[in-house]
Amino acid sequence: MIEVSHIQKRYGGSRALDGFNLRVEKGELFGLVGPNGAGKTTLIKILSTLIRADSGSAKIAGFDVAVDPLAVKSVLGYMPDQPGLYQDMRVREFLEFFADAFHIPSQRRRAVVEQGLAESGLAARAESFVEELSFGMKQRLFLAKTLLHSPQVLLLDEPATGLDPLARVDLRDQLKRLNQQGITILLSSHILADLQEICSRVALIAGGKNQQDGAGNSVIELRKEDSSLPRLYEVGVLQDGEHAAQFAGTFGGAKVLDVERLRILVEISGATAQASEFLRHLVMNGVQVVRFDRLPATLEHRYREVFGDKPR
Amino acid sequence: MNPMIRKELRQRMRERRGWILPSLYLLALCAIISFVYYESSTDGRGTQQGWQFGVELFLTLAYAQLALLLLMAPIFSAGALTIEKEQRTLPGLLTSLLGPLQIWWGKFVASLMFILLLLVIGIPVLSVVFAFGGVGPWEVAIVAFTTVVILGTISAISLYWSSAFRRSVHATAVSYVTVVLMTVVTLIIFGIAMSSVRTQDGWHSIPLEVRAPLYLNPLFFLTTALVPKNQLYPEWFTCLGAFVAVAALCALLTLRNLRRGGDIA
Repeated sequence: MIEVSHIQKRYGGSRALDGFNLRVEKGELFGLVGPNGAGKTTLIKILSTLIRADSGSAKIAGFDVAVDPLAVKSVLGYMPDQPGLYQDMRVREFLEFFADAFHIPSQRRRAVVEQGLAESGLAARAESFVEELSFGMKQRLFLAKTLLHSPQVLLLDEPATGLDPLARVDLRDQLKRLNQQGITILLSSHILADLQEICSRVALIAGGKNQQDGAGNSVIELRKEDSSLPRLYEVGVLQDGEHAAQFAGTFGGAKVLDVERLRILVEISGATAQASEFLRHLVMNGVQVVRFDRLPATLEHRYREVFGDKPR
Repeated sequence: MNPMIRKELRQRMRERRGWILPSLYLLALCAIISFVYYESSTDGRGTQQGWQFGVELFLTLAYAQLALLLLMAPIFSAGALTIEKEQRTLPGLLTSLLGPLQIWWGKFVASLMFILLLLVIGIPVLSVVFAFGGVGPWEVAIVAFTTVVILGTISAISLYWSSAFRRSVHATAVSYVTVVLMTVVTLIIFGIAMSSVRTQDGWHSIPLEVRAPLYLNPLFFLTTALVPKNQLYPEWFTCLGAFVAVAALCALLTLRNLRRGGDIA
C-alpha cells in the first residue's frame, strides 16, 4: 500500500533522507521510529505530497506521489505533528469546509459531517468555536477531518504529542479501530510503548537511512517471536544484588543491564536453553535466586540497542 | 462556489476589522467631503459654478478613495497565506483536494470582495457629487473600474509576498514598501528622467523609456482614466496592460510557491 524506494531529500547542505526504503502492506498498522532529525517528518511530508523528493520514488495505493498527487490525496489522510485548526470557526463549520474541500457531494456532505461529529465524540460541541475545545478534543476534531473522505491510508506524524494519558489511550483505541476497519496506517511516534501496543511492524530510521538492529533487521516484527534477538530476564535475589551481578557478568552471552539490592536485569543472547544454563551458573556460584522472570522484549530496549542510550 | 471563498468571507466578517475598517473608511470619506466643501465655500471664489465644484469634489474623492484603499488593500491580502502558515493550517489545505489555483483564487477573491464592499458602501457618500453636476455615470464607472484593477493588482502582489514570507508582519511590511515603490518611487524616477529630457511638444514626445515607470503608478493610471472617453487609448490601455501583467505574474509566482507548500509551511 505504501512503497518507498531509495528516496532522497536534501535541505541545503544536509540530507534529510538518504536512500530510505519502506514497504507497508495493505491493512497494516506500521510504526516509524528514530531519533530527532532522523527524517521521519520529511518522509511523511513527501508521502502526503507536501514536498517533492530529490530522487527515488514513493507510491501510495499504486499512485506515484510526484506524478499523480491528486489521486494520492484522494486516498490519503494526513495528520501533521502540530495539526492546525481554524480557531475562529465552529466545529461543524470546520468539518463542512473540509468536506467541501474534499469534493464530497453536497447531498452526502451533511451525513458525512454528522458521522464525523459522532465518531469523534464532538456532536455535543458542534456549535462551539474550535478555540473553546481542549487539546484532546482538537486532536479528535483534526482526526475526524482527516477521515471525512474515507481515506484508504492514514499518515500520522507524532499524533500523541501533547496529549494527556487518557487522550493517548483514546487515540490508540481509535487507531486500532480504524485499522480493524481496513485502513492502512503509517504512524511516526517517539512514544515507543504506544507503537509497541498497536503496531504490527516498526521501521527504524536515522540520518535519513534505514537502520538495523542487532539481528540485522531494519523492520522489527512486534507480533512475532524472534529467536535471534537477545532476551531480557529479571532475577530476584535474597540479598546483595552486586554479588549476583558479578557472577552473572562472567557467564558467556549474558549482559547485566541494571543492578539493585534485591534484583538484577540481564540480557541473554543465544538459544532459549542458555537461560537455564545461566540460572544454573548463578545457583552453582551461591547466588540465592528467589525469582527468575522473562520480560517481554520491549521496543524501547531494541531502540536503545540500535540508537544507543544518549539522546541525539 | 469555491469553498475557500466561503470560508474566507465568513472568517473576515467575524474579525473586528471587518466592521472597524469600513467605519473608518466612511468617516474618512465624509471628512474629506466636509473639508473640500468648507474650503470651497470659504476661499472667496464666489464665481465658481455648481458643476465646477462637482468636478473638483469628484476628483478629490477619486484620488482620496484610491489613496485610502491603497493603504487598506495590503491589510486584507498580505496576511492571507501567512496566517495559514502561522496557524499551521496550510498543510491541511494543501493535502485536501483543493488545488493551489483554488486556494489562490479563494484568497484573491475574498480580499477583493472586501475592497469592493468598501467601494460599494462609499457610493452613498460619493453620490453627493451628483447634486452639483459636472460628473456623469461614465466618469464614475471608469474611475471605479480603474480603482478595482489597481487594487486587484495590489492584492495579487500582497498575496505573492504572503506566499513568500512565513510571518504576516513581514509580508505586510514588504507589501507597503511595494505600494510606496509604485506610487512614489516611480514618480521620482520619472521626475529625475524628465530633468534630462528637453521637449516642448507635450506628453507623446517624451521618450517611452522615460514615461515607462509611470505606467506602473496607480495615481497616474487613475489620471489616465479621467480623460474624455475617446482619449483613453493609448495611455489608459497601456496602464491597464501593465497592471494586469504584474497581477498575472504575481499570481503565477504565488501558485509556484503554493506548489512548494510543504517547504514553506
